[in-house]
Amino acid sequence: MNQAVSTQPATGEINTASAQLDARRARVFDAFQLRKPDRVPLFLPFLNILSQLEGTTNLELYNDAEKHIKAVERAALRFEPDLYEGMFLTPEISRALGDRMTKWPGYGLEPAGSYQYHESDYMKPEDYDAFIADPGDWAMRRYLPRVFGELEGLGMLPPLGMFALGTFCMMQSAAVFAMPPVLKALEALTNAGRAQLKWLQETMALIKHMEAIGFPPSPLFAGPNVVAPFDFMADTLRGMRGVFSDMRRCPEKLLAAEEKVIPIMLEHAFIATKVRHLPFAFIPLHRGSDGFISVPNFEKFYWPQLKRTILALIDAGITPFILWEGCWDQRLEYLAELPKGKIIGGFQDTNLIKAKEVIGDVMCIIGGMPNGMLTGDNATLIREHTHKMCETVGKGGGFIMSTAVGDLEGANPEMIEVWAEATRKYGAL
Amino acid sequence: MPTLDEIKNTFAELDEDTALQLVKDALAAKVPAFEILKACQDGMTEVGRRFECQDYFVSDLMMSGEIFKQVSAILEPELKAGGSKTVGKVVFGTVKGDIHNIGKDIVVTMLKSANLEVIDLGVDVPVDRFISALTESGATVLGMSGLLTLAFDSMKATIEALKVAGLRDKVKVMIGGGPVDGNVCRAVGADDWGADAQHAVRLAKAWLGSTAV
Repeated sequence: MNQAVSTQPATGEINTASAQLDARRARVFDAFQLRKPDRVPLFLPFLNILSQLEGTTNLELYNDAEKHIKAVERAALRFEPDLYEGMFLTPEISRALGDRMTKWPGYGLEPAGSYQYHESDYMKPEDYDAFIADPGDWAMRRYLPRVFGELEGLGMLPPLGMFALGTFCMMQSAAVFAMPPVLKALEALTNAGRAQLKWLQETMALIKHMEAIGFPPSPLFAGPNVVAPFDFMADTLRGMRGVFSDMRRCPEKLLAAEEKVIPIMLEHAFIATKVRHLPFAFIPLHRGSDGFISVPNFEKFYWPQLKRTILALIDAGITPFILWEGCWDQRLEYLAELPKGKIIGGFQDTNLIKAKEVIGDVMCIIGGMPNGMLTGDNATLIREHTHKMCETVGKGGGFIMSTAVGDLEGANPEMIEVWAEATRKYGAL
Repeated sequence: MPTLDEIKNTFAELDEDTALQLVKDALAAKVPAFEILKACQDGMTEVGRRFECQDYFVSDLMMSGEIFKQVSAILEPELKAGGSKTVGKVVFGTVKGDIHNIGKDIVVTMLKSANLEVIDLGVDVPVDRFISALTESGATVLGMSGLLTLAFDSMKATIEALKVAGLRDKVKVMIGGGPVDGNVCRAVGADDWGADAQHAVRLAKAWLGSTAV
């Protein structure tokens, strides 16, 4: 497999890990910048295939940071990606908070299970007025107690605006912080904070180890989460069913709520990118793709708010990594409105050949391999498909080969090898 | 008194308030409940047709499901008293290891509104529950949903178990959900797959047309 690893003429010494690290990084950033790299980079989001490769469970890899690092190392050395991802986040924050909206191996799922999100209408239609009046107060005192079992005590807090009375609020309300349910909530928050710190330290250890053997970390999912304002209301608040009925039953309230969340998300992104010294934001999109809502509804509820959010991030020097989930074949012209060369786009079911024509000069395109193809054993089909993707979508640069779904779970490892080799071969033509 | 056509049309237009009022008015005017239900089902068929023409979207399908549920609740007491017959039985569920319910729920609602009896097993359904539900109900169609790639293994295991139980020749299997495509369908050994709820209705009706009692 090694013979196909690119030689960057400028670096020469490709055999050292450090040179490989530089070569991979250059290859990826060339693609990000819509330039033509020495060959099409390969991004492998290992996630839940690691346990399959190691003959263990997801739970064990979550519980044992050393085993996780070993698993990622072995997978990287076997498949030689230019970008990789390890296990997805950590169950421990959810465990500390009594999370009701996610399930993890060992937390609501058996050890071999995979992280899952449980969508529901955590926000009811009658909550709109309070949300619009003060999203922060509503989130802290009404929403968090519903979503996290350990945070029910936060419902006892006074309206958060009262704290602006300073001493005179505390004189009347400080006792609430000594109430057992509130103490329990504060302790749970502290435990969640410790869990996140531990995970951050382990992630840094993974990154350093992998850099030492020549594999750069992916900045794609590392940025702060920003979402389309419509998805903000749909994903974690009203649920898809709720937000779809809101479009008909209370459209003005839905629009007003979307306006409220834009500055909140932007402030979060500005602070987080500054703190992390990483100018990327991660924007997974859910309900705006073909088929979910009509074009008039898309133009009323989805696109203008999302576009404004994206433009504000770009204006602040942040590169959005937008995961265009689902299929965007019929809405690609909207994407073409975005500034050229400022965005990285991951695609799932969109026809990438068409996407290359319409937005190839707008954003770096990531994707190209349907997960279903990797579950079988048709090596010829995989080679032919990879060849076609490299030849068409990879033409002129601005393309990173990856899976359609950001997880290799369920793939046949031998077919990943075939695919990786084919990407190195045909991506260099 | 509203006509059945008016009920069908307001339903197809997804005019929630008017449709529900017309259903109540018709019931009060002693229009037989099964005729009102039929008008609503015709409305749902029209919704499905518009969805297939891409005039309607998932949000519209979901809204039609919301209206249909409310109509069903209004008509249920009368329908129970009168007795009603469905086209056939379908066992449906999200497979073992996967807890996603949204896509599954849309399909179940659409199947029910197409006058099919659906045994909805919920999410994270183990293989043996699918088998026992098929055996107990005598259903000849099995629908499996999954949003995660891990669902492929569960789908395959369920179909293998159908063979072991001697049910494979008697039961048609459809699969669906985010990453499902023709490759997955072949790999797990299902009879067919659908990209949306309306496709599932079409498959079930076609299959039950040939196997319905």
